[in-house]
Amino acid sequence: MSRTDPQHGPAAADAGSGPPPAATPGRSRWVSLLRTRELSTLFILVAEIAFFAWYLWPDGGGRHPFVNAENGLLILKYSAIYGIAAIGASMVIISGGVDLAPGAVIALTTVVLGHQYLESQWSLLASILAGLGVGVLAGGLSAALVVLVRLPPFIATLGVMGITRGLAYIVTEGRFFDVSARIPPSWAPLGVPLDLIAPIVMVVLTVVFHLFMRHVQAGRAVFAVGGNETAARYTGIQVGRIKTMVYVASGVLAALSGVILVLGQGQGKADLANGYELDIIASAVIGGASLSGGRGSVVGAVLGTLIFGVLRNALPQIPGATFYDRLIVGLVVVVIVVVDQLLARRQA
Amino acid sequence: MSALAFEDVSKAFGGVKALRGVTLSVAPGDAHALMGENGAGKSTLMKIAAGIYRPDSGQLLRNGEAVDLASPRAALAAGIGLVHQETLLFPNLDVAENIFAGHEVRRGWFVDRRAMHERAASLLAHLRLDVDPSTTVSRLSAAQQQLLQVARALAFKCEVLILDEPTTSLTDTEVDRLFSVLEQLRSRGVTLIYVSHRLPEVFRLCRTVSVLRDGQHVGTWPLEGKSPQDIVRAMVGRDLATGHGHGKVGDTIRLDVRGLTRRPFFTDVHLQVRAGEIVGLFGLIGAGRTEVVETLFGLYRAEAGTVQLDGAPFAPQAPADAIRQGVVLQPEMRQSQGLFFNLPISENLLLAREAASKGWLRQLGRERGECEALLSRWGIKAASIDVPPDSLSGGNQQKVVLAKWLLTAPRILLLDEPTKGVDVGAKHDIHQLVREEAARGMGCLVVSSDLPELLALADRIVVLRQGRVQGELLRGATEEDVMHLATRADEPDAA
Repeated sequence: MSRTDPQHGPAAADAGSGPPPAATPGRSRWVSLLRTRELSTLFILVAEIAFFAWYLWPDGGGRHPFVNAENGLLILKYSAIYGIAAIGASMVIISGGVDLAPGAVIALTTVVLGHQYLESQWSLLASILAGLGVGVLAGGLSAALVVLVRLPPFIATLGVMGITRGLAYIVTEGRFFDVSARIPPSWAPLGVPLDLIAPIVMVVLTVVFHLFMRHVQAGRAVFAVGGNETAARYTGIQVGRIKTMVYVASGVLAALSGVILVLGQGQGKADLANGYELDIIASAVIGGASLSGGRGSVVGAVLGTLIFGVLRNALPQIPGATFYDRLIVGLVVVVIVVVDQLLARRQA
Repeated sequence: MSALAFEDVSKAFGGVKALRGVTLSVAPGDAHALMGENGAGKSTLMKIAAGIYRPDSGQLLRNGEAVDLASPRAALAAGIGLVHQETLLFPNLDVAENIFAGHEVRRGWFVDRRAMHERAASLLAHLRLDVDPSTTVSRLSAAQQQLLQVARALAFKCEVLILDEPTTSLTDTEVDRLFSVLEQLRSRGVTLIYVSHRLPEVFRLCRTVSVLRDGQHVGTWPLEGKSPQDIVRAMVGRDLATGHGHGKVGDTIRLDVRGLTRRPFFTDVHLQVRAGEIVGLFGLIGAGRTEVVETLFGLYRAEAGTVQLDGAPFAPQAPADAIRQGVVLQPEMRQSQGLFFNLPISENLLLAREAASKGWLRQLGRERGECEALLSRWGIKAASIDVPPDSLSGGNQQKVVLAKWLLTAPRILLLDEPTKGVDVGAKHDIHQLVREEAARGMGCLVVSSDLPELLALADRIVVLRQGRVQGELLRGATEEDVMHLATRADEPDAA
């Protein structure tokens, strides 16, 4: 029998006489900082980079194929597409929901931006705003379905994912919008080269949203809603508003990823960013998020996308490893989460 | 020879010693009460007997022979069944499937549903539980679910039946039913171990009582000749003054409820709470008490009637609205409605005030001191304010929820079952805190099904029956007076 026996179930919610509080001695702040999930995720990233640096060390000396400024920038640039969207997706996960739409929102954003810029001859700024509008609408629709219609987030955002991707195909009718024709790769708005914009935006937004989730009341409320929605309502937290906020933020951040993608790669296409949502969710999870809500970190999620970014960059450089990369990515998720749980259990 | 004996049993969780060398024996056929404050180790001891925990040292004897209860299954095989405080059932499965979950009646490889249903039906008849074995469990009442757990233990042919606070969610009639079943079981030779905070129940059902305190066995006595005070003293280790009154009820009416109606729960409810006054709201289950306070807190919209708060109209659209205007509710279920187990105690304390405040930036630095002061002033025993509240005892958890509200400096405090599942000492503390806050001019409206509690705490008791106010009783009323108002339902054309 795989079923749990009611009498044998976990001793959850033992309101009565559980063991008295564990007497944890006042650990120093430094030690507790070291034990945060953000830092252990960073450690995994550093270890991963060190491993590939060693493994791919060029025999005859000369230029290292993995550790060089150009490749580092490449990793950052591609990871940023995931990373920016992961900021929003991790907030949704912390609130106890899940967002399956980011990949499709990224695609529709590239298409709408391309369409408005090339076909409708809008200015670049107006086209970018139209692209971001896609995020507002998609996030708003998810929020409405979750908050007003009370659909489970998985179903609601699965629907929004289909609608968004579908619209992208309808708008393009099999074509793609070649934005690069009008935006040269050398284009540098405000003097910042195009290649640097993505990493800079990612880092700035990560810091901003990290501070938001830590120190702003609405950010803390996201943790409360994800931890215990009923108690949040009884505590006077406006649960509907908080949920709306995280879904709209997730939509807008995904759209921003789309904007950066279309500017950087020069194409607005309906089949871009396919399956990104699952990589993004996996990144949030290896960064410490719990899919049951109430736990997680924006910084952790972004570091998670970097861990995957390094894998995707380095594996193809190992002869014969190309066909293994999905397998390895899957294994990495499982191993990290299992180790995390084992450590948590030992602490308890 | 004893049916079940513990010999020098110790158990620690991390660095905390939950049980320290408990030696205790239960005679066969006895109805044995196990009492103690929260954190005294009752549940730990019972979980050891049920094979959920293993002792660090010491041993268990069953009919005089040492047994090793390595798992709940082993305990059941040894004839020891545990009925949990919260019903641990599969709400999506039917009654028979629940009774036989994990040891289905089989014919070859297949589950023999017919045989299972027949055996379930005879067990249910035994317990005088009038439900069809194919009913889905989620459709049963709390009492029926509790009895279903007993049925489950009996299906395993348990000779020792442990009941951990089985009556917390039952009405008086349902308690009567459960007790008559338990009496019957005992007369058939089943040994009962009854864990409860409720002294009247213990005196009614049990013959022997054992008291635990701080993980140690204080003593075992026959209940005959013992008074409730004796037991409380053994549990707490000190005498508790039964406080009465707190004086000074102001004249100003803080909360004035007129004709409040939300069908089908309550109709035309009138009541007033003055500054410094503690008003009790009593009624049987289903009388609409919880619904009244939840509506006042803005969780639901009233369909008719007006509420005035300090003379101004008060019609909250949501709890956030009520809190901002100074009306707060301590909800009935502290775990599901009051606490965040993913957040540290400090945030549990501060979230409500933050949500109600206009500012949006948090100043946790300054607030840490405030939280620490609260914990020590209220005697909340916690390792630190940075740990989640799941390590706290029930009474301390309840204090955290109450403290959260008092930090918002409310004008009206609504309390729904403020001491449910809380031990005697914490109950006393909570009453004291409510009295102190009331003395500062706050108005309190207390819902409780614990009538002695209301009689001791409230200046005035408003009695509801079937959603209508039946009358008000002043301090000095007796339980009979209150119950008379609360149960007039059965008389034809009452009110």
